[in-house]
Amino acid sequence: MKVFLKIALLCSLSAAAWGAEENFEQANVETTLPAIKRGADEVMGNCHACHTLKYIKYRDLVALGISQAKVDGWRGDEPMDAPLKAQMSEADAMAAFNKVPPDLSLMSQARDGGVNYLYSYLIGYFNKPDGTLSNHIFAETKMPDMLGMSNATDEVQKTAIKAKARDIVSFLNWTTDPHAAERIQLGKYVIAYLIVITTLLYLVKRQIWARIKYK
Amino acid sequence: MANNIMNWIDKRFPATEFIKHSLTEYPTPKNLSYWWNFGSLAGIVLLLQLITGIFLAMHYKADVELSFNSIQHIMRDVNYGWLLRYMHATGASAFFFVIFTHMARTLYYGSYRAPRELLWWTGQGLLLLLMATAFMGYLLPWGQMSFWGATVITNLFKAIPFVGDSIVTLLRGDFTVGDPTLTRFFALHYLMPFVIVGAVLIHLVALHTVKSSNPTGLELPAKDNIPFHPYFTIKDLFGLGVFLIFYSVFVFFIPTSLMEAANNIPANPMVTPNHIVPEWYFLPFYAILRSVPSLVGGVVAMGLSVVIFAFLPFLDRSRIPGGARYRPVYKAQFYVFMTVTIVLGCVGYRPPTSAAIAIVGQIATVMYFGSFLLLPFISKMEERWLIKRGLPAIVMALINEEAAEIEKHKQKKNQRNGVKS
Ligand code: HEC
Repeated sequence: MKVFLKIALLCSLSAAAWGAEENFEQANVETTLPAIKRGADEVMGNCHACHTLKYIKYRDLVALGISQAKVDGWRGDEPMDAPLKAQMSEADAMAAFNKVPPDLSLMSQARDGGVNYLYSYLIGYFNKPDGTLSNHIFAETKMPDMLGMSNATDEVQKTAIKAKARDIVSFLNWTTDPHAAERIQLGKYVIAYLIVITTLLYLVKRQIWARIKYK
Repeated sequence: MANNIMNWIDKRFPATEFIKHSLTEYPTPKNLSYWWNFGSLAGIVLLLQLITGIFLAMHYKADVELSFNSIQHIMRDVNYGWLLRYMHATGASAFFFVIFTHMARTLYYGSYRAPRELLWWTGQGLLLLLMATAFMGYLLPWGQMSFWGATVITNLFKAIPFVGDSIVTLLRGDFTVGDPTLTRFFALHYLMPFVIVGAVLIHLVALHTVKSSNPTGLELPAKDNIPFHPYFTIKDLFGLGVFLIFYSVFVFFIPTSLMEAANNIPANPMVTPNHIVPEWYFLPFYAILRSVPSLVGGVVAMGLSVVIFAFLPFLDRSRIPGGARYRPVYKAQFYVFMTVTIVLGCVGYRPPTSAAIAIVGQIATVMYFGSFLLLPFISKMEERWLIKRGLPAIVMALINEEAAEIEKHKQKKNQRNGVKS
């Protein structure tokens, strides 16, 4: 039985690995507050023009720890409880791209590959030999190369762009699941508690079962 | 004081008697292994799903315009809403994991055999109810996979002759999956768990009539039974603790590991996701569906692959009691079956693009059904071989006893017939 369970486990793990067919660049998301804040700056500066973040309100950004002054600068006349709308109207976006740019709040989990997809997409731009722009992950994408990867000439520039992309991913990872940090913290306590109580239960079980005589 | 109250109640309601019958004096085989923990565990997971589900329903909105947003409202704004949702979503997977293990134990030890057929069949009914509940629950977040999963699966009912189309429309409440589908799935998803609770009670009444089987497959003498409480209450509690540790790892650290990315995109009838996959617990059956070239054939095969378990008491012809303990061939068959099921699961997960995978799926499908359909012959052959090779005295005695019983029965019948004619 044990051997079988091991095989079954291995099999299902390899099936999971099987699922991720494409090889994405590893984002190694940072979940620290400074990284998320840097990412917020990048997203508000580079992405907010076209993309909504409709599940995030300006108030959430203040609650995250971004200064009120900065958030006020971003929101203009919008109320604190307004969701982050794109600066460009949907009609304008349709006119420009023939497509409304998708909402970014859940984006870090809305594609197979998750954060790694997102990261690889942002840094995946390159110029084809005929001079047209393409992307390794999403060849026909209508989105312009916002971070400028296709124009980067040396490693220093590329490294800087990758760092920016990582920060963006950090922020979008937070917007997808803002309670993640709290969840992980609580999870440690819950599991520690369960281990203690289960050990005690085991000892009680041993004691109770000691009354039974086997032949 | 407490005694007086109990006396007062007992005159009007058999409380003490009930506690005695089903807990403090309920005889349970003392040789049960930890594989017998999964029954009570399933009951607890059911409760967990009920409780988290009721609280989720307080914040969820069943409306195509609102449901996706209401899930995000639960995840972000409701106090510990994220915990409720992750517990409920993980709980569904945990439920299937526990039930599949419970079934695998039943298969391995032959617990479905006489006199436990009704117990097994009520369990089969529970499995069907659970599957229906999970399937309808998956539509509620109204993501892309919810929508397209429901579309594909309800479409299968088209295969029913004559009334197929009407049934599909009835299930959906419309010609396509839409708002009426969502509201009726929600209504039923809320109702079904209570039906399941009722079915569990029936399952338990059957259990308490025939009592638990045990690893030997033999009926134990009274001295080898011990009261359920405290021995199995504490054992089940310990098992629950172990289960909760694993469950919490999923809930708190990898809650999205079993969720599909496409379900984080609101349902869009205009855009088909490039790969529609059901939840992991439906994968083996889904693989069987796809392995049969015709739609009708596939649907029949898939339906059969779930309900065929009910026929096991008839398919197993061996006179040797129990399952794997005294039956090496049966044991081997069990492992082959489990392997085949896992292979089918892997096949169901893959997009149906490569021919190699399709062939693996077809071979596995044949082997899946073969495990059942060959059982009458294999179990008879195994019986003959084992009797010739020699079985432990206790097993032989049982077989002879049963043979004598049947012989006596036959003679009586003959006599009666003789008198009449
Ligand atoms: C000039 C407008 C514009 C800006 C600025 C912009 N995007 Fe986009 N984005 C688009 C459009 C248009 C699409 C739709 C692309 C398509 O489907 O072809 C898109 C799509 C995407 C997608 C989805 C890709 C997919 O797999 O479907 C992601 C992720 C994304 N953008 C991230 C970002 C990030 C991060 C930024 C900020 C660095 C950003 N975008 C800035 C216009 C923009």
